[in-house]
Amino acid sequence: MSLEIRGLQWGHPEPGGGWRQLFEGFNLTCATGEFVVLIGSNGSGKSTLLNLIAGTLPALAGSVCLEGRELIGLSDHRRASRIARVMQNPLDGTAPDLTMAENLRLAECRRRPGLRWSGLLGLHPDARDRRRYQELLEELDLPFRDRLDTPVGQLSGGQRQTISLVMASLGEPRLLLLDEHTAALDPRAEAKVMALTDRLVRRLQTTALMVTHSLEQALHHGDRLVMLHDGALIGDWSAQERRQFSPDDLRAFYGNVRVDERQERRG
Amino acid sequence: MLWIWIGALDQGLAYAGLALGVYLTLRILRFADITVDGSFALGGGAAAVLLAQQVPVPLALLVAVVLGALAGMVTGLIHTRLGVNDLFAGILTTTGLYSITLRLMGRSNIPLTEAPPGLAQLPTLGLGSDGAWLLALLLVVAGLIAALALLLATDFGVALRAIGNNPLMARANAISTRLGLTFGIALGNALVALAGALVALYQGFADVTMGIGSLILGLGAVIVGESLLRPRTIPQALVAVVLGSVVFRLMIAVALQLGMDPVDLKLATALLLLAALGLGRLRIPGLASSGERR
Repeated sequence: MSLEIRGLQWGHPEPGGGWRQLFEGFNLTCATGEFVVLIGSNGSGKSTLLNLIAGTLPALAGSVCLEGRELIGLSDHRRASRIARVMQNPLDGTAPDLTMAENLRLAECRRRPGLRWSGLLGLHPDARDRRRYQELLEELDLPFRDRLDTPVGQLSGGQRQTISLVMASLGEPRLLLLDEHTAALDPRAEAKVMALTDRLVRRLQTTALMVTHSLEQALHHGDRLVMLHDGALIGDWSAQERRQFSPDDLRAFYGNVRVDERQERRG
Repeated sequence: MLWIWIGALDQGLAYAGLALGVYLTLRILRFADITVDGSFALGGGAAAVLLAQQVPVPLALLVAVVLGALAGMVTGLIHTRLGVNDLFAGILTTTGLYSITLRLMGRSNIPLTEAPPGLAQLPTLGLGSDGAWLLALLLVVAGLIAALALLLATDFGVALRAIGNNPLMARANAISTRLGLTFGIALGNALVALAGALVALYQGFADVTMGIGSLILGLGAVIVGESLLRPRTIPQALVAVVLGSVVFRLMIAVALQLGMDPVDLKLATALLLLAALGLGRLRIPGLASSGERR
């Protein structure tokens, strides 16, 4: 197994006082190279789960193992050497004043953060980097070849999210976390970014977890569909099993989780 | 008349390290660092103490640089480890540094009567001792610009820029923002302390209060330089900042020439900066609110 989450605990104080325990002994395992799509209503814990895995939120207890290595206790930037993330807001994933080439270069260094210091000893072989980035962009059929020197802040949201995705694919990540990464895009940009997502996940053969609110995406992307509610796993379907569903079926799933069930589970 | 201009040019170059340090912390790291007020005087004071005891100039400058870096590191650690906000972290260090500098100096003012040895061996460019100074300072500042440009072009330098530009993205790309900020602030203050030492050397004395208003002076140089050159690359920005430092000094020289009382210098500097800020806001989009573009 590539990713193993066991007995994960997390909660937060409620605004009006009291405590809300969201994850209470949460378990999930994903096989190497598996592309898992996570759905669930707002507040069900999808993004929180990604944050707990990435280390941007500290788990209260439990274990998150990536390829046999425990992640709990490591800070987020240390985990980032093996976990790549694409965030919901296209502005979060790139540094706007840095050029596209510089952003890609940073992502490439993710695998060897300590070695960044070695850059102090000499200038980076810039020309070779650039040729490699151009080849990569060409291979992925992205029309950015001549924009390597453009500050990323000058690109559109869709373009920036595409760059974030390409960045996430660099540096040999062992886990790819996609947090509603198409939510802020128009339908055309969304389709392009999703097509690129599929291609990159296949190419990297890495485990991927994608959170989405799009039922279309939930039904047509990934190898496995998982539904969360109130920090619990309430549905887990393979791509095969998922075929029987229509978007309306999924919508019904959202509707059927009633308040009393929620309280039952929490009690 | 010419001497005033050459003098202003020399002074501007002596202050260039201050402008570069402020550029590094404020522009690259987006960290408003008041420590520079303290580290400027620390650098000047430490160099003066050593020079008064006949320590060679390069060694005195090196000690100033190391002390400045330590001061910056303290601010960096207070900010990144204790979570103290940038302004307060800087004020804490600067307040402490005042006593440290005073202890180090033993008195509030140290005069340096002798010109630094070695200066006499430099060609005077037909301008007397000011010419020799000009050449010496130009060499130092050119070296600083080259070293900084190289550093900021390395993987590490790009990582530093990312920390200031988008810390969230930096951390998601395995960059330790704590380490980067602490290093960057230390480096910025090392440059500022070097400027303090050079200024003490040039003006022939160090005073424990010489750092007051340094951040504003450095910021003024950065803004004036950026308004003049509108840099698009990092090396251009570094040159612009040094140019800004010189032009800022020239402006002050003009004001003094026009009969301004030196007592009003700080007020004039503040007003000049206010004008530059207002102007910059009109002329350079994103300058006054650079965070918005993220």
